[in-house]
Amino acid sequence: MRACGRALIVALTCTLLALGITFVAAPISAQAMTCDKATARPNEDGGSGVIGGETTRLTWEGTVESGEDVTKVTLTIPDDGTFDGSTTRVTVLDGLTRMSVEAETKTSGNTLEVDFSQAIPEGSLVRLEVTNMCFPVEGGDYAISGTYESQAGTSALPDSPSISVIANTPLQRAVTWLDGQSWVQAWNSNQFLGMFFKPQLLLTSFVSLFGGWLVCLVIVIVAYPIAILLGLAFAFMKMAKHKVVRAIAVTYINILRGTPLFLQIYIMFFGLPMVGVNIDNNVLGVIVMAVNSSAYLAEIFRAGIQSIPTGQYEAAASLGMNGAQTMVSIILPQTVRRVIPTVTSDFITSYKDTSLLSSVGVMELMMFSKNLTTVSGNITPYMAAAIYYLIVTLPLIKVVGIVERRMARSESGGGPRPKAKGSATPAADPSTPAMASVHCEATEDDGVHGVIGALTAPFRSASSVTPRHDEMGGVPDAL
Amino acid sequence: MRSRNKHVAMVETPDALPADAAAAAAFEHDHVLSRHHFTPGEHPVVRIEHLNKAFDETQVLKDVNLDIWGGEVVVVLGPSGSGKSTMLRCINLLEKPTAGHILINDVEITGTAKTDVNKLREKLGMVFQSFNLFPHLTAKENVMIGQMKVLKKGKAEAEAEAIRQLDAVGLADRADFKPAQLSGGQQQRVAIARAVAMHPDVLLFDEPTSALDPELVRGVLDVMRDLAENGGMTMVVVTHEMGFARDVADRVVFMEDGVVVEQGLPENVFDHPVNERTAAFIGNIADA
Repeated sequence: MRACGRALIVALTCTLLALGITFVAAPISAQAMTCDKATARPNEDGGSGVIGGETTRLTWEGTVESGEDVTKVTLTIPDDGTFDGSTTRVTVLDGLTRMSVEAETKTSGNTLEVDFSQAIPEGSLVRLEVTNMCFPVEGGDYAISGTYESQAGTSALPDSPSISVIANTPLQRAVTWLDGQSWVQAWNSNQFLGMFFKPQLLLTSFVSLFGGWLVCLVIVIVAYPIAILLGLAFAFMKMAKHKVVRAIAVTYINILRGTPLFLQIYIMFFGLPMVGVNIDNNVLGVIVMAVNSSAYLAEIFRAGIQSIPTGQYEAAASLGMNGAQTMVSIILPQTVRRVIPTVTSDFITSYKDTSLLSSVGVMELMMFSKNLTTVSGNITPYMAAAIYYLIVTLPLIKVVGIVERRMARSESGGGPRPKAKGSATPAADPSTPAMASVHCEATEDDGVHGVIGALTAPFRSASSVTPRHDEMGGVPDAL
Repeated sequence: MRSRNKHVAMVETPDALPADAAAAAAFEHDHVLSRHHFTPGEHPVVRIEHLNKAFDETQVLKDVNLDIWGGEVVVVLGPSGSGKSTMLRCINLLEKPTAGHILINDVEITGTAKTDVNKLREKLGMVFQSFNLFPHLTAKENVMIGQMKVLKKGKAEAEAEAIRQLDAVGLADRADFKPAQLSGGQQQRVAIARAVAMHPDVLLFDEPTSALDPELVRGVLDVMRDLAENGGMTMVVVTHEMGFARDVADRVVFMEDGVVVEQGLPENVFDHPVNERTAAFIGNIADA
C-alpha cells in the first residue's frame, strides 16, 4: 500500500511536470519559425519616430527553428501601406556567417513573397529589408504578420512586435518640410535659437497649447464679470454708512490684497477637498480668480466713485434724483470712463495670473507648455506660451494707452466738436466768437446714456472734469 | 471748542408760525420792500424763519428770516463768507439747517419734518457757480435726464422740452455738444435750461456768473433776465452783479456775517442804503 501510494505521487508529479513542460514548450514546438524583430527606420528628421506616409525601411528578422527547412516567407504589410518589393534585400545568416541564398521576391497586394532557391536550414536567421516602405498616413501601432512554407506545409508566422507610427497630419507635414529646410537647420545649429525658438517645436507647441490657451481665456472671461459685480458690491460696502458693513468690506479687501494669489490658490485647492468640498478644478479656478480680482476692483471702483466731484451729486440732487438714480445715471457712467484704463490693466494681470493655476493641476497654458518642455527638453514651448499670453495682453495694453490719451485730451477740453445742427449762426451767439470757425467731423450721438454709453464715450467724445489721477487705482489705505 | 459747537447746535428757535399768520406778517413786512405785486391773501412760496446754520465752530447763519413770494426775483448781495450761498443751499436742503424753519408752500421741510427731500427738490431748481453739468451727457441729455428719471417723462416728450429750453437759452444748435465742447457761458445756460425744464416753483441761482470770463457773463444774465421778465419765474439769485440786481430784482437783500442786514427795493438799497455796512459794500463795488 505504501509503495503504491508513493508511485501514485510520483506519477502525479510527473504528469504535472509534463503538463508544465508541454505548456512552456508548446509555442516553440508549434512554431518552426519565429519573428525576432520588426523595426522601421526613423524617418523623422532629428527625431526617432516613424511617420506615416513617409518612406522608411522595414527590417524584419526571423529565425528558423529546429526540424524545419523554410523555403518561402510571406510578409503581410498593413493595409494602406505601400512598398516597393523589387528592391527588398534578403540576408540569411547562419550564426555570424552570411549564407549566399538566391531569393526571388514577388509582391501581390499588401503581401510580399520571398521564395528562396534553397531551403533555409534550421538555426538560420532571415533578415528582410523592405525599402521604400510607407506606413499608413493616419499612423498607429502596426504588427507585421505573415506565413512561411516548409516541408510540413504553410504555417502562420507569429506577429512581430508592433511598430508605432506617427500620424502624418498637415502639421506633421509642415514639420517635415521645416526639417528639410536648410535655413531651419542653420537656425537650429545656433544654440540659443535652437533652444528657445526651434521653428518645428514652435509650430507643434502652438497647436498643442491652443487648448490650454482657451482654458486660460475661458477662466478669465468667466471670472472677470463676476469679479466686477463682486468688486462693485464691496466698493459700495466700503463706502457704506453702517460701520459693520464697512468693516466686512475692509477685511475682505485687505486680506485678499494682502496675501499672494498663489497662497489663495493653494488654500482653496488643497483646503476645500480636505473638508469634503470637491469642486471641478476649472470652476474652482474661476472662483479663486474672481474673488481675488474683486478685491482689487473694489478699490479701483471706490477710488473712481470718490473721484467724482460733489458738484455732480448736488446737481443730480437738485433735479430731485434719488441716490440710486444718481449712482446709476450720473456717477457710475463717469466712474466707468475713469476706471477703464485701471480695470483693463487689472484684467491683464488677472489673465496672466491664471498661469498660477498650473501649480494645482488646472490644464491651462502654463501647464501644457511645462509638459511640452519636459518632454522635448527645449524651452521653445515656453516661448510659444509667451506668444499666446501676448496675443491678448499687447492689444489690451494698446487700448489702455489710447483711452488714457483720449481722456487726457478731453480733459484739456480739446475734444472733437460735433457739427452744430441746422444753420448755426455764430453771430447769434455772442459768448463764443471762437466757435464760429470750428467745423469738425460730426460724431453721431444717438443719445445713449448710462453705463454702455459711457463705455464707448472715451472713443466718442470728451469730458470737462479732471479725474484726480492720484486717487485712481492707487493703493490709498494701508492694511 | 466742542462744547461751543454743541451750544450752537442747540440754538432755541420758536415754532414756525401758522400759515395765515405768517403770510399776514410777511406781507406786513415785505409789501414796502418789494416790487412784487401782492394779491390779497397771498402766501409766500418760501418762508425762512429763524434759520441758523453752523459748520463745526463757525456760525454761518444767525437767525435769518426771509419770505419769497411767487414770481418774485430776490437778489441776495453781500461780501464773501456772509452766508448767502449757505442760505440758498439750505432752501433745497443741500445744507442741513442747524436750527430754524424753512417752509415751501407752507410745508415745513426742516427739523423733524418727514419730508421727501427728492420730491421737494423737484420743485426747487438750482443753478450752480461751477455749472455742474453732467460731463458724460450732451447738452440735450443734460436737460432730458431729470425729466425722464424724476418726472418720468417719455424720451420724445423730454427731448422736445429739452430742445425748447435749449432754444430759450439760445443753444438749440449746441444740443448734441458735450459740456467740454461748450464755453463756460454756454455751459451755464445749459444748466439753466436743465433747471427750468423741471418747471420748478423756485429757481435758486448760486453765483451763476462768478466762474465765468467777463465777456461770457452777459449771455447768462440775459437768459436770467428773460426768465424773470417774461417767464415769471420765482428766483432767488446770489450774485455780485449789481447791474442785474438793480434792473431785474424785485427786492435786494444784503447779508453780512450770517445776518440779513438790509433789504428793500433795489433803488432804495443802492441809492439810499440805511445801513452803513450796506453803503460801504455798495460803495466798494461801485468804486471797483
